[in-house]
Amino acid sequence: MLRYLLRRSCGWLLMIVVATNLTYFLANFFLDPRANYLQLRPPRTPGQISRSLAEYNLSRDTPLLDRWWHWISGIVVHWNWGYSPVGESVNSQISFRIGVSAQLVLGSLILSTLIGISLAVYTAARQYRFADRFYQGVSIITLNIPVVVASLAVVLLAIAFNQSVGNTLLFVAGAQSPTVTGFWPLLLDRVRHLILPTISLTVISYAGYHLLQRSLLLDNINSDFVRLARAKGLTRQSAIRRHGLRTSLIPVVTSVAFAIPALFTGAVITETIFAWQGMGQYFVQTIGKNDIHGAVAVAAFGALMTAIGAILADIAVVALDPRVRVS
Amino acid sequence: MTTNVPPLQPTVGDVDTLLSLPEERVVRRGQRLSRRRLYTRRFLRNWGAVAGLVILALLVGFAIVGPMMTPYTYTDVDFTNLTAAPSSQHWFGTNGTGADTFAQTTHGLQRSMIIGVVVSLLTTLISAFVGATAAYLGGTAEKAILGIVHFLLVVPSFLILALISQKAGGDWKVLILVLTAVGWMYGARVVWSLSTSLREREYILAARFMGVGSLRIVLRHLIPNIGSLLIVSFTLGVVATVQAETGLSFIGFGVKQPDVSLGTLLADGASTITSAPWLFYFPAAMLTLLTVSMALIGDGLRDALDPTSHSAGIVRRAGRA
Repeated sequence: MLRYLLRRSCGWLLMIVVATNLTYFLANFFLDPRANYLQLRPPRTPGQISRSLAEYNLSRDTPLLDRWWHWISGIVVHWNWGYSPVGESVNSQISFRIGVSAQLVLGSLILSTLIGISLAVYTAARQYRFADRFYQGVSIITLNIPVVVASLAVVLLAIAFNQSVGNTLLFVAGAQSPTVTGFWPLLLDRVRHLILPTISLTVISYAGYHLLQRSLLLDNINSDFVRLARAKGLTRQSAIRRHGLRTSLIPVVTSVAFAIPALFTGAVITETIFAWQGMGQYFVQTIGKNDIHGAVAVAAFGALMTAIGAILADIAVVALDPRVRVS
Repeated sequence: MTTNVPPLQPTVGDVDTLLSLPEERVVRRGQRLSRRRLYTRRFLRNWGAVAGLVILALLVGFAIVGPMMTPYTYTDVDFTNLTAAPSSQHWFGTNGTGADTFAQTTHGLQRSMIIGVVVSLLTTLISAFVGATAAYLGGTAEKAILGIVHFLLVVPSFLILALISQKAGGDWKVLILVLTAVGWMYGARVVWSLSTSLREREYILAARFMGVGSLRIVLRHLIPNIGSLLIVSFTLGVVATVQAETGLSFIGFGVKQPDVSLGTLLADGASTITSAPWLFYFPAAMLTLLTVSMALIGDGLRDALDPTSHSAGIVRRAGRA
């Protein structure tokens, strides 16, 4: 198992390196940091701009391959991912934003997986009855509500809720209030900020797991081993849960594992609407501000998350299915 | 249990018969149900799909007729009505610059629909052709094509999307090209894995031994046999594309001023959501109706075209009644 994982990791590492370098050249082709200096007053001469940019290894006067070599050796030797055109360190931005994104992603990932799978078990046991049809209809709608609409609807509802309570219980913007101190008040404050974005991310993502798990469960709910479990005296519910669910869990777990990278960099819209300084928002910002090194670092992070998701999926399959042997 | 056996249907499970010549079809019509009537009947039995179809038809009608119903165009500004609430003059109200939201919404709906349909059509066609060709050719060609597809899947497509559409300055035609360029890979992978099982079938082998060319086999024999999958993936592709386009436009990387799409309208509405909520309500309603109706149609089509689909439950019920 370990050797297998090691080999897979090496493969993924190679992929990450290739994708990151490719992104570096792409970003250099499409983004021009000189544009950031054109608006400055008093106007700078091209020579001045080039000198300022040369300090951050972004000057167009240096050949691209030289810049690339400087950039890649900085990463390999010092783990320094470079600087933005105005001199902010990419490392400090990323390390701060990973934590912000993680708060957002993990909560909604856990919630949507739990809700999705338990709804699937509930509805699969009641196939074609009212409850099944009802929740299936709800899931088809929520699955296809665009992210923008879902998040803004949550904001509207929260504002209405706050007004009816007469107090700002749920915060619509930001990850935390700047003035709160102390452990418990800070924790409470964080939770009050976290609730709305978590709800809006959960609403749009649980339905995929529900529908997938339901159809997989229905495939083997009438199979012999579930009937055998019933014959041994288990209730229908626990036969489905302990025997039917376990065998049909694998594709769902795989898709959950692959949802991690998509969530980390793909929660752009949610982060924009709720004004969270996460990775997705950083990504948009770097492209808007011609920050080549920042954009490449986000892409590398995304590739790393994809690799982690894929490896987690492998581990989950081995853990869930005793028939799978890796060599 | 015998009552549950469906009435004599034409051989639904047999994908080969999907490729039927016109004269064959005439013969088959003499049997109980023609294929098309069977599919139509199964589709119409699914009330969700029918509702989706009705909603979509209304939306398309609205997008076409809507611009003619108002004296304003989406670029007109009415300086006497800035951020005005819906009224008899401006049905959906106006935004901060005085543009008529009704005209903008109908135009944005048109834009989002065109982008969604064209991109989904192109990606479906490309993925079908690439996937089927890779599966049919086999050997080195297959390995090379798959290698390219896998590599493109790893490349951060969202980054490329954002970079190029940023550069293009919000032209919707460029957006179509970019969305197509980054969207066909996954579909190609799926088509390839389905086609690998088809390429060993007798009719493919027969065609090959009769000396039919590779291109013709792919176009006439392989692709038509995965037609039902392609139809479904086209409808669901429209949903995905519309979501991607509106998302990109919302964060400012897609369609840009002065052109409007539902995404840019939502971005306008988001900033004034408490002071002028109508700027959000109408585009949001249109967008949600569009994606949900397409998804319902896609699900209905999948159930109607897929012989092993679970919609058989409905059939059983109808039989018992």
